[in-house]
Amino acid sequence: MAANFWASSHCKQLLDPDDVGVLQPLDKERGLTQEEFKLIKIHMTNHIWKLAQQVKVRQRVIATAVTYFRRVYTRKSMTEYDPRLVAPTCLYLASKAEESTVQARLLVFYIKKLTGPDEKYRFEIKDILEMEMKLLEALDYYLIVFHPYRALLQLLQDAGMTDLTHYAWGLVNDTYKMDLILIYPPYMIALACIYIASVLKDKETTAWFEELRVDMNVVKNIAIEILDFYDYYKGDTCKGEPARGIPEERINAALNKLATK
Amino acid sequence: MAVAAPGQLNLDESPSWGSRSVDCFEKLEQIGEGTYGQVYMAKEIKTGEIVALKKIRMDNEREGFPITAIREIKILKKLHHENVIQLKEIVTSPGPEKDEQGKPDGNKYKGSIYMVFEYMDHDLTGLADRPGMRFAVPQIKCYMKQLLTGLHYCHVNQVLHRDIKGSNLLIDNEGNLKLADFGLARSFSSDHNGNLTNRVITLWYRPPELLLGTTKYGPAVDMWSVGCIFAELLHGKPILPGKNEPEQLTKIFELCGTPDEINWPGVSKLPWYNNFKPSRPMKRRVREVFKHFDRHALDLLERMLTLDPNQRISAKDALDAEYFWNDPLPCDPKSLPKYESSHEFQTKKKRQQQRQQEETAKRQKLQHPQPHARLPPIQQPGQVHSQIRPGPSQPIHNAPPPQMAAGPGHHYGKPRGPSGGPSRYPQGGGNPSGGYNPNRGGQGGGYTSGPYPPPGRGPPPYAGSGMPGTGGPRGGSAGGYGVGAPNYPQGGPYGANNQGRGPNMMGGGRNQQQYGGWQ
Repeated sequence: MAANFWASSHCKQLLDPDDVGVLQPLDKERGLTQEEFKLIKIHMTNHIWKLAQQVKVRQRVIATAVTYFRRVYTRKSMTEYDPRLVAPTCLYLASKAEESTVQARLLVFYIKKLTGPDEKYRFEIKDILEMEMKLLEALDYYLIVFHPYRALLQLLQDAGMTDLTHYAWGLVNDTYKMDLILIYPPYMIALACIYIASVLKDKETTAWFEELRVDMNVVKNIAIEILDFYDYYKGDTCKGEPARGIPEERINAALNKLATK
Repeated sequence: MAVAAPGQLNLDESPSWGSRSVDCFEKLEQIGEGTYGQVYMAKEIKTGEIVALKKIRMDNEREGFPITAIREIKILKKLHHENVIQLKEIVTSPGPEKDEQGKPDGNKYKGSIYMVFEYMDHDLTGLADRPGMRFAVPQIKCYMKQLLTGLHYCHVNQVLHRDIKGSNLLIDNEGNLKLADFGLARSFSSDHNGNLTNRVITLWYRPPELLLGTTKYGPAVDMWSVGCIFAELLHGKPILPGKNEPEQLTKIFELCGTPDEINWPGVSKLPWYNNFKPSRPMKRRVREVFKHFDRHALDLLERMLTLDPNQRISAKDALDAEYFWNDPLPCDPKSLPKYESSHEFQTKKKRQQQRQQEETAKRQKLQHPQPHARLPPIQQPGQVHSQIRPGPSQPIHNAPPPQMAAGPGHHYGKPRGPSGGPSRYPQGGGNPSGGYNPNRGGQGGGYTSGPYPPPGRGPPPYAGSGMPGTGGPRGGSAGGYGVGAPNYPQGGPYGANNQGRGPNMMGGGRNQQQYGGWQ
């Protein structure tokens, strides 16, 4: 990946928090609420995650796929871009961009396996390939994404807290259920996760954070967002499954409003 | 595209997202033919700006958008440097697209995507192949410096180009050189130790570690290619034109000596080392073979053509080499002569005709069993070639070799003949169209029987007599470098026989696309 995050398109494309959760007009017309919009994104993040576990790709690919997914919906409506198709296509595209290619037919096979008889999730290879083109356009062909994982490991090493790795890593995974990756530089997200982990595990890190000379307000804001998220969706922070609290019916109701298929 | 509801303005659709249509451009002519599509010179209708459109074919793609194009786009989007080709934007052809037979095609993914690049007038191979073209030393230094600067930038940004060769180095009429064709390029990072494919880089420019099967490699692979190009610029023709991989290795060993655990620690652990282990050790002969190069050039070349990738010079260190800081200094790109563009429609047509004739010549030629169809190397005076070069008007050596697969396929051959392009450089007298190219045609032979003169009978670096047009098919001189510019021995052996070389003189292997860099 690019050596320098600051010179990257990812950096230049970071969005203002206020610009991220905005509903596209077309979705608003369909009566989709802000809350439902969020839920669908969480649900589809999980969908990508489960699919990725089936087709066996690296963590990076999943993270990139989710980032693409979230980026698309800052520009496109769910009405036009069916999330049930966009999600697997993001995984397909990310697998290419991250050099662990997954065959389209394999993906289609696992979608079927995972979603069972639900017709609304069923897509053919042709659908994926067609959506891939539309996604590339929607992403303006910017495909490089930076993630907090590498920074996380380096920072934990530096702080001498490698015992927190597992825990903080899980937290980073969960940040992809939010739009944080579209808003903050990845290393700040990593720091926020370290911050939460250290507080919960009673580690003294004040001096270390001070030495970093980062804006602690930003770190704390990200941390608060993450904690709010856990709070709201009543997830089990230790197991990293915040979406557990979302009832299937709510997701379906939201998706039905889109009625794209 | 989002369509606004009736009565509403479509303001929410930001125009900065999504691609423009290829209809914003007027295609002027095809300037290249690549593996994944054609390359066109085009004009942006609104601004009149000339660009190059590289088409990414989407049909026949079972896996959607080609990963090679994804790699190229990803990499080009992050590289911004004056010596790296600039990807301006990506445009799509408006669906439903019609295919070649005019059948409408409803699937957008089967439509076409075009990468829009800044237009460049030449590529290095094409330029060097121009009739009468000879680069002066400051010009060679200028190109080399730009090549290394661009490559250093790529390497700093953790990009391996993996296909450095003359036809991928584009040159504009301001003298700027830019690296192009990142279709084989890849990001590398120290923390990702994944295996990389060793099937990259055009054979003649492929480093020994790849030929020996390594899958863990780095920027040094590109530096080997740079070394090959450097030597080629000074020498006047490709220095290691192997026909296949084993032969390529043999040629490398013959020039650079055989590798062992002393000069290349770890070499014996490489996957294919035992398959290709040379039967007898050979001495390194770079200095001997290229003794006509100046001292600093030779020092730098030695460090580029170092067998052990870990000891090979980096782009950064190469830029610090004495060569670039000693007289004559690299010239300012802007001071370089402007060459007439090579993409006129007529020129291309001419080329096609030439190719046809060449085909004929090839067929004729195939009746004579001559494995080494490529023109013989000029540094082998008085060797076999005297027998196989009967007379001035025999086009026979110019036919492409039977084996075409292994070598690089790129630029269209240029039209040749007495009307050689403008050149401010001294020419080998009496041979206005002479020069660089006679040996570049095919890629097979000529060289094969022994790429370098056997020990003890090295050719005089500069045949004192100079061959210029002193009659006779070979300029009356049995060999050597009878040309003016010391560092650019060329034109020599063919004396004044330019009309005899006629249209068939461009070889087969490299005449596919002049605009190789755009593919």
